[in-house]
Amino acid sequence: MTIDYAGARYTPRQELIEGHADAWRMIGAAGTWWTGAQRRDMVAEARNAWRCANCASRKDALSPNAVSGEHTACTTLPAPAVNAIHRIVTDPGRLTRAWFDDVIASGITNAQYVELVSVVATSVIIDTMHAALALDPPALPTAVAGEPSRSLEADLVDEGAWVPIKRRPDASASDTGLPRDPNIRRAMSMVSAAPMLFFRAFMPHYRLQGLQFAISQGQAEFVASRVSALNQCFY
Amino acid sequence: MLLRASGEQTGDDVNLEAVIDGSGMPGIRWGRELNRIVEAVIARDAAALDESCSAAEPIMGDDAVRDALVVAAAFNGITRVADATGIPLDEPTAAATGALRSQLGIDAFDYDAKSQRYA
Repeated sequence: MTIDYAGARYTPRQELIEGHADAWRMIGAAGTWWTGAQRRDMVAEARNAWRCANCASRKDALSPNAVSGEHTACTTLPAPAVNAIHRIVTDPGRLTRAWFDDVIASGITNAQYVELVSVVATSVIIDTMHAALALDPPALPTAVAGEPSRSLEADLVDEGAWVPIKRRPDASASDTGLPRDPNIRRAMSMVSAAPMLFFRAFMPHYRLQGLQFAISQGQAEFVASRVSALNQCFY
Repeated sequence: MLLRASGEQTGDDVNLEAVIDGSGMPGIRWGRELNRIVEAVIARDAAALDESCSAAEPIMGDDAVRDALVVAAAFNGITRVADATGIPLDEPTAAATGALRSQLGIDAFDYDAKSQRYA
């Protein structure tokens, strides 16, 4: 299955279509800690989260911790992975360090979690783009047989994120005012393939400078900031 | 925070409160249309999205509507990366935006603050 945005209400730029098609193929291949079939299942579970009664109850509750019970899963992914996927998709603004610690304590590693975040966030971009263009979500990625590489990154540090991140070789600011390697690019750096996947899908959507779109840079920042506020995102 | 920096570069006089709560005039060209489009995308409301896009097309043009959707989709993903990893603000941003975050209530979204609120 590839992504082509045929029949979209507005035709996306070719660069975006290619980025999404590449990302979809990358999801279906074995990753660093999960197989291609498991990564495909993460996309299925991300979609299924919107139909999960437990997630709906939690979303309506004053505190997410006021709701107990199990998620309604549609895959055989481990329960901690299902919990992580459902919460990241349906209630990202109320994720906490304690919740994250519970996910890790219940049986998946930091590196597995980081790879999961990458797959899920990538699928959110692609599914959101399809919905925004009045299209059904694309068929799930085709899973390719193969074993995860299980390669560990070196030189990881704790800089206050919930997960270890790669040490930054150069902290000086670029002309955007941000470091050349801002924290959002480092967030998933403990699994090197994770940011590669995510930014393959993300980069055709946005630039901090020099955006060549039919909306201005300021209008793009307004859109980005409104999304961040609606999702209660601090970063 | 990025918006303020961008506004300074482009000369846009953006109402930051409108960014946070969607109220009032954003102070940016097509602000009202952009806001309606973004809210419909994030709410996953297909009817509202159709309506907001149709209303915006004669004002903004199809390409601008499309590009607003493109940016919104990207940030619906990247906010999840930030929220799921608890990544801290970059130091220059944190240093430059302390008063602004306090004024606009953005500090309530801080990951430590959320962890205490939903403990």
